[in-house]
Amino acid sequence: MTIVGRYYDGQSATVHTVALHYLAEYDSGTLLIGDAADGSEIARWAASDLYLVPGRRDEMRLAASGQPAGARVVVRGADTIARIRATLPVLGTKQRRETTRQRRLAVTATLALVAVIATYLYGVPLLASRIVGLVPPAWELRLGATVASQLQSSLGGLQICDPDPGSLANRALTRFGQAAMAESGSPFALDINIVRSDIPNAFALPGGQVFFLSALLDQAQSPDEFAGVLAHEIGHVAHRHGMEQLISSAGTGALIGFILGDMTGISVAAGLGSTIIDARFSRDAERQADAFAAQVAHRLEFDASGLVDLLNRVGEDDDFARALALLSTHPLTDDRKAALDRLGQDRPSGLEPPFTPAEWQAIKAMCGGALDQRGTPINVGATKTK
Amino acid sequence: MVMQHGPGRPVPVVFTGTRRELAGLLLRGYALLLPTIGLYRFWLLTWKRRFYWSNTDIAGDNLEYTGNAMQLLVGFLIAVAVFLPLYAMVFYLSTQSNQAAIVGYGMIGVTLWFLAGYAIYRARDFRLSRTLWRGIRFDQTGNGWAYALRRFGWSLLLIATAGLAYPFMAASLWRYRYVHSWYGDLRFGFFGSWKQLALPFYLTYGAVLVVGGAGLGISMALGVSTDSLAEPRAYLPLVIAALLIGALALRYQARELSSMYSSVRLGGAVVTVTVSARALIWQYVLCGMALIAAFAVLAIGGLVVLGVLASEAFAGGGFDLEIFFRQMQGSLITLAAIIFGYLLMLGAFTLMTELFIGLGFWRLIATGASIAGIESLNVVRARGEDKALAGEGLADALNVGAY
Repeated sequence: MTIVGRYYDGQSATVHTVALHYLAEYDSGTLLIGDAADGSEIARWAASDLYLVPGRRDEMRLAASGQPAGARVVVRGADTIARIRATLPVLGTKQRRETTRQRRLAVTATLALVAVIATYLYGVPLLASRIVGLVPPAWELRLGATVASQLQSSLGGLQICDPDPGSLANRALTRFGQAAMAESGSPFALDINIVRSDIPNAFALPGGQVFFLSALLDQAQSPDEFAGVLAHEIGHVAHRHGMEQLISSAGTGALIGFILGDMTGISVAAGLGSTIIDARFSRDAERQADAFAAQVAHRLEFDASGLVDLLNRVGEDDDFARALALLSTHPLTDDRKAALDRLGQDRPSGLEPPFTPAEWQAIKAMCGGALDQRGTPINVGATKTK
Repeated sequence: MVMQHGPGRPVPVVFTGTRRELAGLLLRGYALLLPTIGLYRFWLLTWKRRFYWSNTDIAGDNLEYTGNAMQLLVGFLIAVAVFLPLYAMVFYLSTQSNQAAIVGYGMIGVTLWFLAGYAIYRARDFRLSRTLWRGIRFDQTGNGWAYALRRFGWSLLLIATAGLAYPFMAASLWRYRYVHSWYGDLRFGFFGSWKQLALPFYLTYGAVLVVGGAGLGISMALGVSTDSLAEPRAYLPLVIAALLIGALALRYQARELSSMYSSVRLGGAVVTVTVSARALIWQYVLCGMALIAAFAVLAIGGLVVLGVLASEAFAGGGFDLEIFFRQMQGSLITLAAIIFGYLLMLGAFTLMTELFIGLGFWRLIATGASIAGIESLNVVRARGEDKALAGEGLADALNVGAY
């Protein structure tokens, strides 16, 4: 019983209906392709040259190396296909070899991608701080000015509480800033601004600007808390975290786009992916700034863990925050408190206080806050200077 | 108008693929996307194309897709290399002053829109040059940049004329694509013109304006009369208008596909395509129903799983978010749940759109097509070997590739 199939020679679009015969020889064989109508031979393909081309389920497409790229013998029907496979086991062998090759390719590519991701996750914090060193300070200053102007427009104007640089409070803040930055080798001149706002927050911008919003100052119950948060923000300046995070989040976007094949990065998956990775870097930066604050507390008499008390008063972690901690840009406050207490254990004694009681009072009064209602600052200041 | 060689009666194009087979292929592919961190998409796309191509049977011979996953992967890597400078520029701009950044982003958006034209053309080149029928390769010549420029210029005109230039744009781009398409050594011809599109397009345009205006008007009237913007009834006319506009757009699309494909010639072979608007709209209705069903199943499944994991949060008939989050115990589980849930929803969405819209389009066009004078193609000879064309590159990175 002959097998009938269709034959394309790969050179012209003419279809030949062909009868296939297999000529077995002792170590190899030949596929004879003959015209189905008159039996004349059209082509002969050596069995060792044959290979399968992927096609429809009920169809077998045979090609042969050394033939034109499009040359095919096409056979249909499950029984016929089974017969050919039985006659030519080499086809199955080659097909399995190809499957293995594809699988190996996919595995290799995946491993390469895993390596890229791992390098990224562990290398970028290192790399970003190196790259930051290459960014000209002038550029970062300009960037800080841009961000500040964006903040101005989004917060509806940042009104500085006490614009007089010679005032008691501002002189105390400048002195604190200089003491904190003393050993950092930062190229930036620190610029501490206490501004009026209902939002209890403090932040540092690229280029050395630190903003401390009045609502947070009002909540501060001791110089420890205020000095802790301020030293933390100065830590961001000293480490150039703003610039560093800008660089690393650009890298994250590129990586996520690469993984998802969506370089525009607008899909939800891209957003979620970058959020998770960037939040991780951001938590690292927060820990570094906390450590910086603890170091400053080794030179001035205050307890840096006060910063956690102040932040906790403003917004305590709830179960929701705990459940989503991996997406959060800040470490959980309990962990921060423990770390700061550990860092503050062997603090030398007999240091200068950061602010005199009079200075602390002046700072509290900078934004015209109702000082009488609180009534605690003097006592707290007094106990700490002992 | 067209010479017919011999007695040839039109032969229909047959599509033999089933939804079930495609579903199996896609589900297997999605499952493999997870352990390969998404890299399997190049293999999945290759399998999908093999399915579409090999099940399309023209006069007894089906198409063959000869591309492979490696080509797509390499093309993607090249595209990434092209993208990195653009990416660095976006980053630099993001650090600049507001105005400079806005101007810069605008320019990059325009650049991307321009590049998309190039990407679409190159992707078509990739697919055609990897398509065999009767052992002869298709191909596309022409210049990707010229096509991108043409498309870009037309889209500017489209904006300037509030969409009225569309029939001219469509006819021009269809012509450019087909005049530069080849089957072996035989060049395609294109005899379509804007005149075929003008009447249906402008009628649709007018109808969309009327329906949209009416929907908006009634909606506003209802909103004003009830004195409340939150009134859900006020949005009903808007929703109905949006659905009607969708149906009108699909009806026009069926018309455009039918008349443009039917203007394609290949030597003595004449293609006639009839895509029924009703059938096309039905595909979308089916897809919508399948999506609703899939998301309902996912929602019920999700609730059952949550109920087992965090049973206390559901105690007392209600749902207590705080207890729920306490029970999620730690970040990792919550995060895993969010990601897994997101992936399931995304998977369901792409599966349904591929099964109903993707397959629906291909099947409607294939089974609506017939070719007269196909015997005239017997004399076509193969053209020179495949030129080097590394993957679809930009198309993959820009996500503009179809099928």
